[in-house]
Amino acid sequence: MSVYQINKLLYLTDNDLAFRKRMMEEPEAVIKEFNLTDEERDALTSGAVGKLYQMGVHTFLLNHLYRYELFGVNRDNYLSRIREGMAYDPRFEQGNMPVQRFIKK
Amino acid sequence: MAKLVLAAGVPHPPRLVYEMQQSPGKMRGEALMKQVGEQVEKAEPDLIIEVDSDHFVNFFYNNLPSFCIGMAEEAQGPQEDWCPMPRYTVRGHVPLAKALFQYGVHDKFDLAAAHELRLDHSLTVPLHFLNPGMRLPVVPIYTNGFASPLPLATRCVALGRMVRRFIDAWEGKERIALIASGCFAMDVGGPLRGWVDNEWAETISKLLVRGQYQTLARRATEERINAAGNNSGELLNWITVAGAVGKTKPLFLEGDEGNGYAVWKFD
Repeated sequence: MSVYQINKLLYLTDNDLAFRKRMMEEPEAVIKEFNLTDEERDALTSGAVGKLYQMGVHTFLLNHLYRYELFGVNRDNYLSRIREGMAYDPRFEQGNMPVQRFIKK
Repeated sequence: MAKLVLAAGVPHPPRLVYEMQQSPGKMRGEALMKQVGEQVEKAEPDLIIEVDSDHFVNFFYNNLPSFCIGMAEEAQGPQEDWCPMPRYTVRGHVPLAKALFQYGVHDKFDLAAAHELRLDHSLTVPLHFLNPGMRLPVVPIYTNGFASPLPLATRCVALGRMVRRFIDAWEGKERIALIASGCFAMDVGGPLRGWVDNEWAETISKLLVRGQYQTLARRATEERINAAGNNSGELLNWITVAGAVGKTKPLFLEGDEGNGYAVWKFD
């Protein structure tokens, strides 16, 4: 029931520079400050985008996992990961991720 | 008496400004933005009201209004440092924003109001093209286009009608341009990323061109919007503007891969 906490963590990563810096340097320490269930923490730290999607994390906020390359998620594996656990859909064939200008602070 | 001189709808691709700098004259979106921009310039507005959906930059789940009037004196954006475009300071228009807020509440719209704003790319990309140099003040109207439950599209038509009544009654002499920011159908980083629901986008274009705004609003259920991808709730901004244009049909409307570019004129 704490999907809100995951959404908040990702929202802060994009919108709060000091928080983002900490997330990129010591993510394990930062997420201890959030009230996550074991299942949520495991999904997040293993970069299980598909699982997080099914839990109800907002896709705009999930994007920040690849944008800031957190927990092993990147532009090349994001789409295949979010589709994990979903039935195959021919529309997936048209999927691609935009070239992003990553900014590391 | 203020006057609505123009309404428009455009998308806000976060990389459009950057990409057209890399290869000028190659992007269809650049040409269409310029086409809309020329009409805005010709209409000589004094003020822009922009209907937009924040992308978790100004609002978050801790406090997320269905409809909100922006009444900051000025605000900066885009805040997202992954969006390669100039950073702007955009002036607001506090007296008009306050009057709109009061008019709306008295008209039974339980609006929210925000006196501080962090502008995202969805607000600033259209302004880059349609408000060069950020010369004109801008009053944002935010609709919740992304966090379920979305406001009903039929309610957005009513919101647009209220905005039009307000403009017609506003004591100022401003010439006002009303701009919708958003796509018709798109998925950004959801499982359907890269796929465009062309059938839905074409239906939207057709109904807008014919001036069948109520029909569009009835068909734009949250279920239909979500089926077209996670970004498709931005249609509510177009529908809000359609509510404000009355019976006027667009001067032109061009589709472009799930996006639309349109202008309505009233002079």
